[in-house]
Amino acid sequence: MSQFLLRNDHSPELEPFVHILEFAQKKNNSINLNSFTDACSSYLRIYYILEGKFDWVINNKSYTLYPNDLGVILPGQHLCAEKGYLDIGSLYWLHLQLPLPEKTNKQSPDGWSQISSQELVSVKKILFLDSTPVLTRIPDAGSIFSSLRNELFNQEIGYVTRVNQLLDELLILLTRKFSQQQNLQRDFPQTFLKLEETLRKDLSHHWTVEEMAALVGLGTTAFSDKVKKFTGFSPMNYLINIRISEAIRLLKKPSVQVTDIALDTGFYSSQHFATTFKKLTGLTPSQFRKNNI
Amino acid sequence: MPSTKKCIITIEIGTNAVRVVAFDLSGKTIASMKGSYPTFHSQPDFSEQDPEQIFITLLYVLKNLLNEYIHPSRTQVLSICFSASMHSVLAIDKSGIPLGNAITWADNRAQKEVQQLKNSPACNSIYTATGTPMHPMSPLFKIAWLKNNDKERFSNTSKFIQLKTYIIQQLTGEYLIDYSLASATGLLNIHTIEWEEEALAYAGINKGMLADPVPIFTSCGKLKKAYQNSLGLTAATQLIVGSSDGCLATLGAGVWGGQKATITIEDSGAVRVIGQKVLNDKQQRFFNYLLTENCYVSGGPTNSGGIIFEWFAKQFGDFKNPFDLEHTIEDLISVAAKVEAGADGLLFLPYLLGERAPIWDANARGVFFGINIKHERNHFVRAVIEGILFEIYSIGKILEEHSTIKSLSINGSFASIPLCAQIIADVFNKPVSISQHNYSVGAGAYLLSATEMGIFKDLDEAARSIVLTEQYFPKKNIHGVYMKHFEIFETLSTRLKPDFENVVSLQ
Repeated sequence: MSQFLLRNDHSPELEPFVHILEFAQKKNNSINLNSFTDACSSYLRIYYILEGKFDWVINNKSYTLYPNDLGVILPGQHLCAEKGYLDIGSLYWLHLQLPLPEKTNKQSPDGWSQISSQELVSVKKILFLDSTPVLTRIPDAGSIFSSLRNELFNQEIGYVTRVNQLLDELLILLTRKFSQQQNLQRDFPQTFLKLEETLRKDLSHHWTVEEMAALVGLGTTAFSDKVKKFTGFSPMNYLINIRISEAIRLLKKPSVQVTDIALDTGFYSSQHFATTFKKLTGLTPSQFRKNNI
Repeated sequence: MPSTKKCIITIEIGTNAVRVVAFDLSGKTIASMKGSYPTFHSQPDFSEQDPEQIFITLLYVLKNLLNEYIHPSRTQVLSICFSASMHSVLAIDKSGIPLGNAITWADNRAQKEVQQLKNSPACNSIYTATGTPMHPMSPLFKIAWLKNNDKERFSNTSKFIQLKTYIIQQLTGEYLIDYSLASATGLLNIHTIEWEEEALAYAGINKGMLADPVPIFTSCGKLKKAYQNSLGLTAATQLIVGSSDGCLATLGAGVWGGQKATITIEDSGAVRVIGQKVLNDKQQRFFNYLLTENCYVSGGPTNSGGIIFEWFAKQFGDFKNPFDLEHTIEDLISVAAKVEAGADGLLFLPYLLGERAPIWDANARGVFFGINIKHERNHFVRAVIEGILFEIYSIGKILEEHSTIKSLSINGSFASIPLCAQIIADVFNKPVSISQHNYSVGAGAYLLSATEMGIFKDLDEAARSIVLTEQYFPKKNIHGVYMKHFEIFETLSTRLKPDFENVVSLQ
């Protein structure tokens, strides 16, 4: 079997899987003009190249994909072929509704994933980081795609579970590869600076060490050791220092309420903010404001 | 019960991190801690830091060091002495609130302003008066840049201060700048110790917009009550304004006149001497910064320090684990040690970041020269190390035209690598020593505090107290080999100037 096209609205194979919108393998031997023009979607699109060379434009940037490469098009991103038609070659693709972290209920169509809701938050954060949409040389993804195909067509006992497991596996693989490809794995200061910028952009989020480590592409232990060595702080203390620096800046602007500052800078409550702040500066945020304006 | 134990604390506000060190009165390190902060590059030539983050990081590290090792209730903290990187600029409004981030020494945005002054007759008189080379690092040009390009910030600015001034102001409420840091602004007349009118006019400011320059021994007020409480200190702890990292690294290496020079190589590097005279170089290749009245730290800074070797390691090193730069560098150093001096005629110009002293050419770029078919990776590793140290030697060589240097004292993580220390001894053909202190800036700040407290008679006696642990002596016949290579190195670095310019236009 070298070609197939499964679509959720008319393929019985996909009936148990509301979240798989389309799954296909195509061997393209001829050029059809205008067969691959600009499209944007609300779901995740993953392409895996088996043979050939594909020149695509993803979000207005040109990329060339070779065999074993993955193209990952996020919801809301645009994809079209450089020349308007699909190049000659063969590829898999999968259109997938991303699982929602808050739906861990197995009955809900959004709750198909076994990834814990906290890890799903990290997965999404990493996928949506401003990263390159092409992952090069990921043959493991090819194996996942062919297992998916076999499960869907053979439908042996337990296949529904296996398909969802394979999708989880694919998501985890993508996430890990993204964070590793994002971070050259050679330049910790650069990587750490990128992490700092990400944290500052989203300071009200209650970051965990696991999430921060995932952004850098390291395990939590290795990450904590590395951060301690590089900065002198544990990751959490480093983060608290960023929170307080930002809070100080806001406290010096009389127009911002202390409660808003606490929540904007990622403290759980005004109380939590006041205690942490006073421990370091000897003053409560309000006293600090009085003394500094 | 009165406490008997006493200590001196030094705070170094460095380029990437704040380091707090506690010394006992005899100069032995009791404890040391660091906390790092990032440099943001919002545009290619910009290098900025968040002043609040630096302040909070400092507070946090100081608090932890006091709580974990010192216990101020049991050990009396006699003094806290500050040092900081030179050339930072922070604009603050009339309430003392920062307008944007601080601009650090590494920021290169003001190149146009430098060119403009270089082409004017005021250039020579401003350099002679201020001792600061004409380079975008100098606050003089950064302020001029703000005037020309960030009119809103400029018009709302009540004062232009340095990061150290800001930190001290946060802790005590006083705006002060020590002579050393003031003399690195390009705005201070180092002969009269007054702000230089001609430079102020070029920057478009008046002296009321700058902090008051004070001697390095000056007490900078009392710690605010809130910080006394949170740190567990009292008003009895004396806060000493201190000096700049460059000046203190020189002092902390035990150099005080005496025909000695200090070589510091961390990410960047410098060769410095201390003397009673300003080195007036016609080609304006040196800085002359004031340490105390009639005492100058002079020398040249280079951009091409350990950071260049790190670049090489990241590109061509063999990483066994992600982010394991340290082991990768160790492996490369051991590989380089097996290659003959001179790397079999392979030369490297380390100008990946342009260069300051001695060629002062922002357009300079890196070069491997003389590659033949027999050269292997190991030769390249050796050539990179030698290239970085040849650059250091080229600064030392022109310093020797102005002052006699008989021996060298080295510090900084790159220079202290035994292979590098030996190459420095061989290239300079002079004995090299390393001080017992890992952090010579902190050691210098300790000497300054101890002198202020009367433990030493003066800085001269203080510098002599530094114990030099390791010594390296030039090996026979090797110096000649290096000089043959250096001659080509020197020729290339000047001859390639037009080609550097051409290649930069393609980058």
